[in-house]
Amino acid sequence: MGYVAVSGGSEAIEASIRLLDYYRSGTEKDLDIETIAEKMSLLVDRVMGEAGLYSKSYAALALKQCEGCIEEAVFLLRAYRSTLTRNYYSNVLDSNSMRVVRRISSAFKDIEGGQMLGATYDYTHRLINFEIEHEDAQALRANVLAELNGQKPEEVSPCPRVSDELKKEGLIEMRGPCEAEPFDVTENLLEYPADRSARLQTLSRADTGFVSGLAYSSLRGFGGAHPTVGELRTGYVEVGIPYLFDDTQEICLGEILITEVEIFSEADDEDKLKLAVGYGAVFGRNENKAIATAILDRELESGGPYPSQNEEFVLTHGDSLEMSGFLSHLKLPHYVTFQSKLDAVRKTRGGNA
Amino acid sequence: MTKILSKASGAEVAKLASEYKERCSIAVIREPSKTLAMLKMREPVKGSLFYIGEVIVCEAIVELDGVKGMAVTMGDDFEKTFDMAVIDAACNKGIFHEEDSLIRLGRSQELLEQKENAMHLKTMVNFTSMDRGAQ
Repeated sequence: MGYVAVSGGSEAIEASIRLLDYYRSGTEKDLDIETIAEKMSLLVDRVMGEAGLYSKSYAALALKQCEGCIEEAVFLLRAYRSTLTRNYYSNVLDSNSMRVVRRISSAFKDIEGGQMLGATYDYTHRLINFEIEHEDAQALRANVLAELNGQKPEEVSPCPRVSDELKKEGLIEMRGPCEAEPFDVTENLLEYPADRSARLQTLSRADTGFVSGLAYSSLRGFGGAHPTVGELRTGYVEVGIPYLFDDTQEICLGEILITEVEIFSEADDEDKLKLAVGYGAVFGRNENKAIATAILDRELESGGPYPSQNEEFVLTHGDSLEMSGFLSHLKLPHYVTFQSKLDAVRKTRGGNA
Repeated sequence: MTKILSKASGAEVAKLASEYKERCSIAVIREPSKTLAMLKMREPVKGSLFYIGEVIVCEAIVELDGVKGMAVTMGDDFEKTFDMAVIDAACNKGIFHEEDSLIRLGRSQELLEQKENAMHLKTMVNFTSMDRGAQ
C-alpha cells in the first residue's frame, strides 16, 4: 500500500467543520451538560469506560460536541487526557467495601448479604413509553426526591464476595495478594504474552461492542464452556492517595461508580477439582461489558483455537480509538494506491481481451 | 475529613474555609490545577493489581501563615480545591475549629446515603426455587 501527500481543499474543510454546527445545533433547544451527565448516564458511563477516563461532566461535554457519537467522544477524552500530567497513583481501591447499589448472582439464589436488583432494565417490558414523551422533569425529580426523603435510613454495610465462600470451601483456588506493580498500557507498548494486569486494563477500556461480540461468539460455541455469573456487583468505591505531607495517612479524592463481575466455569485443570473464575471491572453501570470482560478473561486464561481465546486478537483489536482511527483513515485520499489497483485490473483485462 | 469535603459542594467547603481565608495570610504554593490520578485495583481471582483507568482531579498547595496545606479532589472545581487546601493548612496549624460543622456535614451525607440504601434494599429479592429438591 502506498501513500501520497495531497494539498488543497482547505476552504472546503473549513466549511465542512462549520457545517457541523448546522448539524449539531438541530434545534433552538440547548442540551446542557448536567442533563446529559445525569439523564444519559449509561451512555456517559460507556464513554468514560472506553476512554479510560472517569469524568462524567467531560464525557457529557464530549458527547455534546460530537452529536452523541461514542467513538468521537472517546477520541476527545483521550486527546484531552493526553494534555494533562498524571501526578497521582491511587492506593489500591477497596472494592470489598463497595457501597453496593446492585448485586446479583446467577450461581446461588441465597448469597450472604442477599441479592439486590437495584435499578435494572432487566425486568422491564421493552415497550416505548410514550407517556414520558412530554415529561414534566421538575415534577419527576420532586417525586423521586420526596420518596428518597421519606425513607427510613438503613445502615450501609459491605457485602462479602460470593467467591470468598467458595474459596473457603476449597472450590476455588485461594491465592494470596500479589503486590507486583501493574503493567500500564497507556505508557508501555503491549507485548505478548501480556501480563494479567495489561489484559484487565485493556479490556476495561475496550469498546463495549467489541468485547460483547467476542464474548457472545464464545457463548455460541466458538469458545469454552458456558459460564455462570457468580456475582455481578455495582457500587461506589472510594479513591484515596497518600497524603503529601505524611504518606502514612490517606486522603480521599471522592468515589467512583464501578461494576465488577466474577464468572464461574469448569476448571481446565486435569483433575477438575476446582472451579475456574474470570473477572471483569468497568467504570459505571456498563454491566454487559463487565460480564463480557469476565468471559474473555477466562477464555484468554484457558487459551485455545478460537478468536476469543487468542490474546493478540482480543487485546489488539478492541480499542475504540485505534479501531475507529484505522477505519476512519480509509476515508482519506488513497488516489495513488487506488490508481495502481485500477491499472492492474485494466492490464489484466487488456491481456485477457 | 477529606471524605466529607470531597463529597461536599463548593459552597459548603467555602463556608468552612472562609474564616481562615479572611484572617490568615495565604501564599499559593501550587495554583489549583487539573491533573490525573491513575486508579489501581486488586482483582479477586489471583489477587493481582491492575489499573482500571484514570480520573480527573484538581490539586492545590497553599501556605497559611507559614504552614502548608494541600488538597486533591475529583473534578475540576478550582475554588473548592483551593478552599480544601486552606482547611488542610488550618488543621496543620492547629487553628481549625469547625469540627462540629464538619461532623454535621458528614452526618447529613451519611443520612442521604442511608436513605438511598433504603431505596436499594427494597429491591432485595428472595428467590424461591421451583424445584423442591434444589438448594
